[in-house]
Amino acid sequence: MSTSRGRYIYGVASTGCAVSLGGMGIDGSEVYTIPYDSLCAIVHNCSTEPYQSTDEERVKKWVRTHQGVLDEAKKALGTVIPLGFDTILQSKDEVISPDQVVKDWLKGDHARFQTVMERIKGRDEYGVQIFYDPRVIAKQISEENQEIRKIREEMAAKSPGMAYLYKQKVERAVKAEIEKLAGEWFRDFYRRIKDHCDDIVVEKTKKADRNRVMLLNISCLVVRQKVNNLGEELEKTNNTEGFSVHFSGPWPPYSFVAQPTIATPDVKVESNAT
Amino acid sequence: MAIDINEGNLKHGVLGLVMALVEVIRDALKIQALKRIDSGILNEEECERLGKALMDLDLALESIKEEQGIAESVRAVRDGLDDIVDTVIDRIVNPERWQEEINVRS
Repeated sequence: MSTSRGRYIYGVASTGCAVSLGGMGIDGSEVYTIPYDSLCAIVHNCSTEPYQSTDEERVKKWVRTHQGVLDEAKKALGTVIPLGFDTILQSKDEVISPDQVVKDWLKGDHARFQTVMERIKGRDEYGVQIFYDPRVIAKQISEENQEIRKIREEMAAKSPGMAYLYKQKVERAVKAEIEKLAGEWFRDFYRRIKDHCDDIVVEKTKKADRNRVMLLNISCLVVRQKVNNLGEELEKTNNTEGFSVHFSGPWPPYSFVAQPTIATPDVKVESNAT
Repeated sequence: MAIDINEGNLKHGVLGLVMALVEVIRDALKIQALKRIDSGILNEEECERLGKALMDLDLALESIKEEQGIAESVRAVRDGLDDIVDTVIDRIVNPERWQEEINVRS
């Protein structure tokens, strides 16, 4: 099989020009656009084998290059719908050229691409993670919560064994209280962040470390000019004792573009999106 | 949950697993102990003995973990167990997951 039967697709831009972006692609490949109507796909020629490696550094480098191409494409071509790493279109037979496959794909999904393009135009994705420090929060609760204070006061007068049991009681009560409050915090933070975003996707929270519990993990679609407002809002949270915020971006709006659908049945998409 | 065992980490793996299970049993014991005490069927002296025993158990477990340097692997096993329980509960209480399961299988 020829080595350039596949087209690695970085993303779709809202311009109908055929341009070359130079050898900035994965492993130095030449990145160019394949236009159809008012859209174009940002691609490089590749074999139909997906990019795979057990060498983590190598994969990281590929993903960073993918990201870099999208950044450059955005500067050169305007709004870009990002696709996941390792999205490769290929033709199944010799009759249809790979370029034609890409054009057919753009054609078949034209309306949907236009809708997505409108949605993400002038906007970027930002990642927001809010953490709390269970030690600080537990200390606050055990000082402020009446019921827990009462158990602690009783504990002071107990013999060692009993005092130990009371300590367990306090820990359990504090834990239950944190869980109750976490729900309220989440709703509060979410509402305050929502005011500055066009759209939010709630991601699964991940385990951080023992001194930081992830309370909220979201992706936000934010109008470029409004991102400072969001930053200020998060700064307030970051300055609250016991809480910390991880704010990252701008990212290509991966979370707000659905996965590409296949226009024609004889086209195969290889996707190993990470 | 995959437990990665080779000669180099066999000790950590097995000891960590055993210790994690002991901790889980200890936690269950603690819950029962607190229930007994709240129910009032134990007298003051029995409560004291129970508390003392749990305290000694905790100290013993902590010192074993420290001596053997397995605190991290114990944590890893317990985190793994937590994740499994989370997933199972999530499946049970969210009917939409049942549909997802059916979609995956079909």
